[in-house]
Amino acid sequence: MKRRLKTYLPFVNAGIQEVATYRINWIFFMLGNALACFVSYFIWAAVYGSGGGGAINGFTLPQMIVYIVLMFLTGTIIASDGAYVVGEEIRDGTIAMRLIKPVSYNATFLFQELGNKLPTEIAIAAPMIVTVEIIRTVLSGSVQFSAPGLLLYILSCVLAYLINFYFNICFGFIAFAIKYLWGANMMKNVIIGFLSGTVIPLSFLPGVLEKVFLLLPFASLNYTPVMIYMGKYGGAQLWYYFGLQVFWALFFFGLSKLLWKVSVKRLTVQGG
Amino acid sequence: MKNIKRALKIHRIFMAQEFKRMMEYKGDFIVGIIGFFLVQLSNLLFLWIIFNQVPTLMGWTVYEVVFIYGLSLIPKGIDHFFFDNLWNIGFFIIRKGDFDKYLTRPVNTLFHVLVEKIQIDALGELIMGIALVCVSIPHIGADWDFFRIAAMICMIPFITLIFTGVKTITASAAFWTKRSGNVIYLFYMFSDFAKYPAAIYNRVVQNIITYIIPFALTSYYPALFILRGENPLFNLGMPVLASAVLMTAGIIVWHRGLRAYESAGS
Amino acid sequence: MELNRNGIGKSNEDMISVDKLRKEFKKTVKDPGLRGSIKSLFRPKTEKVVAVRDISFAVAEGEILGFIGPNGAGKSTVIKMLTGILTPTSGSCTINGKNPTQNRKSYVKEIGVVFGQRTQLWWDLPLRETYGVLKEIYEVPDDRYRKRMAFLNEVLELDDFIASPVRTLSLGQRMRADIAASLLHSPKVLFLDEPTIGLDVVVKDNIRKAIEHINGQEKTTVILTTHDLADIEQLSKRIVMIDKGSKVFDGTIAELKAKYGQIRELYFESDCKNAEQTLAYDRQFALGKDDLSVETEGKSVKVRFNSSIVPVSDMLSYTLGKINVSDISVKDADIEEIIRRLYGQGAES
Repeated sequence: MKRRLKTYLPFVNAGIQEVATYRINWIFFMLGNALACFVSYFIWAAVYGSGGGGAINGFTLPQMIVYIVLMFLTGTIIASDGAYVVGEEIRDGTIAMRLIKPVSYNATFLFQELGNKLPTEIAIAAPMIVTVEIIRTVLSGSVQFSAPGLLLYILSCVLAYLINFYFNICFGFIAFAIKYLWGANMMKNVIIGFLSGTVIPLSFLPGVLEKVFLLLPFASLNYTPVMIYMGKYGGAQLWYYFGLQVFWALFFFGLSKLLWKVSVKRLTVQGG
Repeated sequence: MKNIKRALKIHRIFMAQEFKRMMEYKGDFIVGIIGFFLVQLSNLLFLWIIFNQVPTLMGWTVYEVVFIYGLSLIPKGIDHFFFDNLWNIGFFIIRKGDFDKYLTRPVNTLFHVLVEKIQIDALGELIMGIALVCVSIPHIGADWDFFRIAAMICMIPFITLIFTGVKTITASAAFWTKRSGNVIYLFYMFSDFAKYPAAIYNRVVQNIITYIIPFALTSYYPALFILRGENPLFNLGMPVLASAVLMTAGIIVWHRGLRAYESAGS
Repeated sequence: MELNRNGIGKSNEDMISVDKLRKEFKKTVKDPGLRGSIKSLFRPKTEKVVAVRDISFAVAEGEILGFIGPNGAGKSTVIKMLTGILTPTSGSCTINGKNPTQNRKSYVKEIGVVFGQRTQLWWDLPLRETYGVLKEIYEVPDDRYRKRMAFLNEVLELDDFIASPVRTLSLGQRMRADIAASLLHSPKVLFLDEPTIGLDVVVKDNIRKAIEHINGQEKTTVILTTHDLADIEQLSKRIVMIDKGSKVFDGTIAELKAKYGQIRELYFESDCKNAEQTLAYDRQFALGKDDLSVETEGKSVKVRFNSSIVPVSDMLSYTLGKINVSDISVKDADIEEIIRRLYGQGAES
């Protein structure tokens, strides 16, 4: 295990350096994304203001605010652009360079991206968790923070990231086969945005839709960790949703292996 | 006059090239259009769910909100359709040293960059915007006289230039920093505020999106006049003024940037 | 124009005159490694780099000037200032009576530019389309355009691929197409930055011939930067050489050879096992490192020596008297060797 980690350490390092180089760009990008949060906040404030002020579909306004911030945070933590990278690598042929290295293709990506994300994660997650807790405390009038809740959230995020990562790798292989990577990627993002509860909490959807969406892998991405953090899942439900996350992670891990094999075959047939 | 004629001719030629290019990559473009269409659809679904909970949003009915939403997409879509190349300036062209090409041609560089590419994906936004405006109008009990409709149509070029102006200013930052794509992104994202009635925001946000990064002028304020006949001087005058100011500022910053431009590498 | 008529300003023969041209850049410096990246995250350091150091030279109308220097010498920076892409920090350049950065639009109508590592062609469209667009951009009238295309077709043989999308062209075809694109508006001055980079020998030769032909026919002034000295030897009588931003030589190739080119190359084969030690040229003729180099590879021996210190005849008779040789010959050193020596000197001073 230690030896294996050592093999991948240079990839982590390379990722961190990349980020430092593009520091300001990244900050601007995150601020741009955060603006969408502000828009949602004001919309919901108006909705709750125009309604009675009570809970809607199980969410009070303070909870909704916490939900928006957590969704943003979780989305950032689990983000993965593997689809794009894989597609580009197949397109320009650099994937061949990965073939000749004695390490797993998908794993080199995973570690490179982790290196890319780690500083980001720490820089953004810690202050945001504090912010969320302050908001919760102020809005509800009592301290809501629970350490086990935070730990479960982190665990759930790790699973969600793995699902997202392997899902994106799969998507990259497939999108390349159908050629329209950019447009397809956008469509994917929109659909995931909706199905994962980023646009609106899934509990706002009609009953049947909600049940179906909860089973799909996309709810396992953002929605599950956020609901866990907010303490909406307890006891058996917690085990159920964790199980679902593990299932989807394994599913996409297996699928990515399979697609990798198919792609290698195609690459060698076409001569790269 | 001769200059304008020449500019129009060059524009037409570039457009023709772009359409030829599109024919070579039909699939890509169709997927792109559908993609942008889906983005709007998902937002509409959001609106629909919200209006299932409340009858009006700060006094705005669902069709009025849909009208504002649709109106905001029209200038955004037009700018996106014609002047999308500014994003490439911010992300790639300057960083990779490809800007040199523009400087060796006897055409104004900003004009050349603006008209060189069209982005067909934008039709997803544009068609949706026009459809939403058309669908919502019959449901809104406003005085639909000729003047209001004419005002709406006349405003479109100006509110489009608000988008183009903001993009030009922010894209120009790349002349100093090599890469400004994310700066464009940050400012462009303020246009998200334009999708809903500015009345739902607090004072600070309202002031920002009215006077500083004035995207509220692209939809909400014109709508105040078109739907409710309020204060035409401000609601129509400000967008026109802002478009002139932003475009002028854009041209000035661009040309300052040209002087600071350091072509990449060897 | 006004200036010329009054007889003030540049002399009439000079198409290009460059006077104390200087360019400084600011560079962000980063310490190596992870710590360096993190440090520059918080406190980026910048330093001033002088890319071009007060260079002056002039080019006559119809001349082909070879502009050479090692990587990073500042060649491209000079070309970019001459073409109006970069604004000089100080100094000036005048081309056909015009200043490139003032009134850029009218200036660039008189020049053509090819950057070997980039293309100005429309990537996704058939090559023909590019010329159609450039015709409008440069406002070439229809009849002139037709004649021009016929001429360029003939010189650069575009017909074979003019209907193919640019992205499918070979590197050599693309370069021909790019040169044609830069000549469409009949410029007075043509700037070629590495026009033969990455091409194979035959293609290089075709391109050189085309450039020669156009220069001969139209008296186009050409400034050519290249790494391949064969380009220079075939095309230009005169070269300007720069190193680390400064001009180190300006003159004809003959002058260059006369000044630095007393180096000759003696080549022979010998069965003698340690010819190098036996001959010991350095002791015999008291030659320093700069004036002598010996390479032995199996039987063959290459001796480069300064013929102004040791006449060729002395060298030959000494060698033939000392050991048994076969297949002996003496050559002029090639320009590459001269340049290598020049740069070596520059590095020491």
